[in-house]
Amino acid sequence: MQKPKPYPQLIASGIVSGSLYLLLYLYEREILAAFTRTDGWYPALPVIAALVFSFAHGAFTAYFWDVLGVTGRRGRRFRWTRPRSSS
Amino acid sequence: MDQAAIQFIDLQYGNVLALLAIGFIGGLVSGFIGSGGAFVLTPAMMSMGVPGVVAVASNMCHKFPKALVGAHKRHKFGHVDIKLGLVMAASAAVGVWLGADIQHQIKENFGEPGSNLYVSLAFVIVLTIVGGFVLRDAIQIYRSGGMHLEDKPSRLARWAQSIEIPGTMIHFRTAGVRVSALFTLPLGFATGLLASIIAVGGFIGVPGMMYVLGAPGLVASATELVIAFVMGLGGTVKFALHGLVDIRLALILLAGSLFGIQLGAIGTTFVKPFMIKVVMAAIMLIVAVSRGLVVPVYLTQLGGMDLSPQTMTWLHAVSFAFLALALCTGGIIIIAAMLRGHRVRTDHLEKAASE
Repeated sequence: MQKPKPYPQLIASGIVSGSLYLLLYLYEREILAAFTRTDGWYPALPVIAALVFSFAHGAFTAYFWDVLGVTGRRGRRFRWTRPRSSS
Repeated sequence: MDQAAIQFIDLQYGNVLALLAIGFIGGLVSGFIGSGGAFVLTPAMMSMGVPGVVAVASNMCHKFPKALVGAHKRHKFGHVDIKLGLVMAASAAVGVWLGADIQHQIKENFGEPGSNLYVSLAFVIVLTIVGGFVLRDAIQIYRSGGMHLEDKPSRLARWAQSIEIPGTMIHFRTAGVRVSALFTLPLGFATGLLASIIAVGGFIGVPGMMYVLGAPGLVASATELVIAFVMGLGGTVKFALHGLVDIRLALILLAGSLFGIQLGAIGTTFVKPFMIKVVMAAIMLIVAVSRGLVVPVYLTQLGGMDLSPQTMTWLHAVSFAFLALALCTGGIIIIAAMLRGHRVRTDHLEKAASE
């Protein structure tokens, strides 16, 4: 039986990812001002934001290709031809 | 450079679309060969009016989460050797540190044109030698009809693996390699050094892991993503401490590149390892041509040649076109190889069903 496509996960992660990008668009100036501050813990903001977006948007893009049927070949782990020892 | 002196650009819709597209293709190439894309992203952002240091910082900030997603995806396929990645990344960090220092010294002594000339010559020399070597290997595999075979370690790698130095031997399980740290350390160092000069350490790291350590191409390209993550994270922290990261640029690039890197990672399960070498050689050699074209421009700026301003502008434009060509060539080869692999798989499944 074919595995059901992850539509609910795609929609949920899409909403989260889309909301994050919408916030970036709406508060562009404020975000840029805060994220370029060099005092206190402000320099950590770009790193945190990049990680948060990568989890949310990364999940969305993974489900996106899944839903389109573009998936990796399961079990196609690499094989390595080890040289035969001469001894 | 002080953050107060930086002007962050107003983003236009055209710029956003361009960043999404370049991000996607850059991600596709990174997911497939473990690196790439960065060499065209920085000049592309600079051509939009982004100051060079902000372009480098924002590129770095998009690189490490992209590499994280790519490494996670390829880890699922069993391609990533985390231990090898971390060992290489540790020495790469030293290379980055020294490389940045060398860059600083050159800039102090020879100014901006001297620094640009140094970067371009590094591009031309390293990419021509390494890219030429990878291409020669790919041609030999093609001529011998071995495209469908799995990777075999090179003679150099077999020699490196045969050297037993007590107390330094490390076993990398996924790569299937047992080698002395005295080989991984200089390789990681060179990867970091190159990353600090041309922003793409993988052009040394991936061929080095393949030909010097003997890791299969699929493992080398996937493990490079671990190194890229560590170096990108370190670089982002460094730039963020100076307030130089334009988070809007980084996140827009990320929006496109995460689609690309997932697709590139999936693509590695459809193609033979031979294709990684083909894509890598094609990109490296076209980029070498691109950077070679601007060497006369920097020589003119240093007083060693005499070119007219129009010729210099023209050479810059052609050079950038070659960078874009390198990225697009890589993207097209990957997509074509994936489609071919997918068709073979579908035919195979249909044949099996009909029997």
